[in-house]
Amino acid sequence: MSFLAFFFIVVSLVSFVAAQLILKRAMQASRRTGFRNAQFAWKIAGGVVLMTISFFLTLGLLQRFDLSYLYPFQGLSVIFITLTAAVVLKERVNLRLAIGALLISVGIVLVSLS
Amino acid sequence: MTNNRQRQTQTRPSGFANPWLQLALSVACVLLSEFLLKRGATEVANTDSAWSWTGVNGLASPLVWWAILLIIASFISWLYVLRYIPITIAFPLSRVVDILVPLGCWIFLGELISPLRWCGIALVVIGLALVAKPIAQIEERL
Repeated sequence: MSFLAFFFIVVSLVSFVAAQLILKRAMQASRRTGFRNAQFAWKIAGGVVLMTISFFLTLGLLQRFDLSYLYPFQGLSVIFITLTAAVVLKERVNLRLAIGALLISVGIVLVSLS
Repeated sequence: MTNNRQRQTQTRPSGFANPWLQLALSVACVLLSEFLLKRGATEVANTDSAWSWTGVNGLASPLVWWAILLIIASFISWLYVLRYIPITIAFPLSRVVDILVPLGCWIFLGELISPLRWCGIALVVIGLALVAKPIAQIEERL
């Protein structure tokens, strides 16, 4: 894998994880303040832009690599989102949830490698 | 924080608005869109172009547009899910799609699944059970 391919895989993954966290924040806030709120709109827009970047980069990568080759990297998103949600969103992650997320990630990697 | 999580789940709407049903719909849309994207992207692949890294030339395929529609539908369902379910639970559960693809190929297309792939599927299933169990217990108490 070239440096360029690795770079785009990382950018795609980071933008996907960041988008999920921003969208979660926006939807969480919407339960208190409703949808007619400038902050809500900005967060949703930010999340959509990041998701779009991730989508097109993935599309570009799919033209060069097999889905099974790219999937292990997508599997890592489970771990990254669980960890960052615990830190950034202060969601409670107990041992059971952490082990569950780890097993899902490892499982996805094994499914893709086989 | 646990009480907060339980309250979030307990005040959830029912019927079609049930966030767990919306999570299942979101997964189904993602599953179908993955197949369409791969077929569409391969159909119009032109790796000689420098712009092809951005994937924009994939838009030439109608399959990619169908996939985009499904992604939008799954996105709307997903936003609704995020409103009611903690992302640390919803996101790992949404990855059930990663074992539905090979299982679908095995059941419907008769493709073989290697022992290593079965191990991976088993790990994902155990992981999903671990993530879902606290929620199942909360639902039981309702």
